[in-house]
Amino acid sequence: MTTHFAEVLARESASLSGVTDRAKLASWRRRVVKELMTPQSPYVLALRQSGDVPERADLLDRWCELIAEMLDRLLQSGTAGGSPCSSAQTSRADIDVQKTAVLILAALHGGSTLSQIAQDPWPLNAALDIALAPFAGAEDDSPARTGNE
Amino acid sequence: MTTADSHTGRRLTARGAKTRARIVAAAADLMYVKGVGDTTLDDVLAASGVSKSQLYHHFDGKEPLVRAVIDHVGERVIQRERDALGHVSTIPGLRRWRDALVQSNALRHGAYGCALGTLASEVSDQDELARQALSQLFSEWQELLAGVLRRLQDKGTLPAEAPIDQLATGLMAALQGGYMLAQTARDVTPMATSIDMALAYIESLSAG
Repeated sequence: MTTHFAEVLARESASLSGVTDRAKLASWRRRVVKELMTPQSPYVLALRQSGDVPERADLLDRWCELIAEMLDRLLQSGTAGGSPCSSAQTSRADIDVQKTAVLILAALHGGSTLSQIAQDPWPLNAALDIALAPFAGAEDDSPARTGNE
Repeated sequence: MTTADSHTGRRLTARGAKTRARIVAAAADLMYVKGVGDTTLDDVLAASGVSKSQLYHHFDGKEPLVRAVIDHVGERVIQRERDALGHVSTIPGLRRWRDALVQSNALRHGAYGCALGTLASEVSDQDELARQALSQLFSEWQELLAGVLRRLQDKGTLPAEAPIDQLATGLMAALQGGYMLAQTARDVTPMATSIDMALAYIESLSAG
């Protein structure tokens, strides 16, 4: 497997398996955002639409599974439900873990592209806020949006 | 009749403008299918049927050609999205917009992704002018989505406190990320799922 694919998978496997509560979910998210905002990081290289397609497909499938397993764990430990500052009333039974994992991966993928062209982490964070909304406490706590409008 | 070349500011004759348009259209098609990195000027020469001297008369290298492709693709995408979104003011209307994009991408098994998103992921870290042009185009596109959400808000479908810019950005990221996942999977399903999930979130705000 190409080095950056293997590296992302190894790092995600280690850090996602350690996410057992909201605080750890928030720190996973901060770390991934930082990686995706670092030019030429293994994460940026792995999500680029070039190189070996079957290998990238394999990485994305496995990453998606890891995210879904983490969400399952959080649901079982009761780390879900509408956030107090949101009017979205999401109950545990409403959450489709597989589909939420696809949205999270899409948010990482599309959000990082938008952030790279805007040179601002705000779009990526906005996308993750929505994708992670059923898991309250994952809100971005980085400084408010910078200019660039 | 003459047309101004948007990059060199040179005036083009009608025939010159036609040749330039042919080069840009051929380059746009090639870059969409093969990617920017794998498209060479020789490929563009072969596909457009223009001579080397004609090509270099209009573009003194690949970078200015890529910028012209961004303008060309951007204009088409923004026009398409303005037509599709300009008058949408209901959630079912937003779903019809989603259906059209998913359907059209399914025809190609999702293989090529979004024409504008593909350019964004390939050139934004290589050419500052290209990045600025792409940033401007995505802002315009996102503003069309924000317009729909604001109309939903005006009608009371979305609550007054709904964070419009954040929702429009999240929806755009779900769309672009969905295109990219579909492109890798050669299957449109993850794109349909990611947009549906983002739309379901927006709809959940209206029920609250």
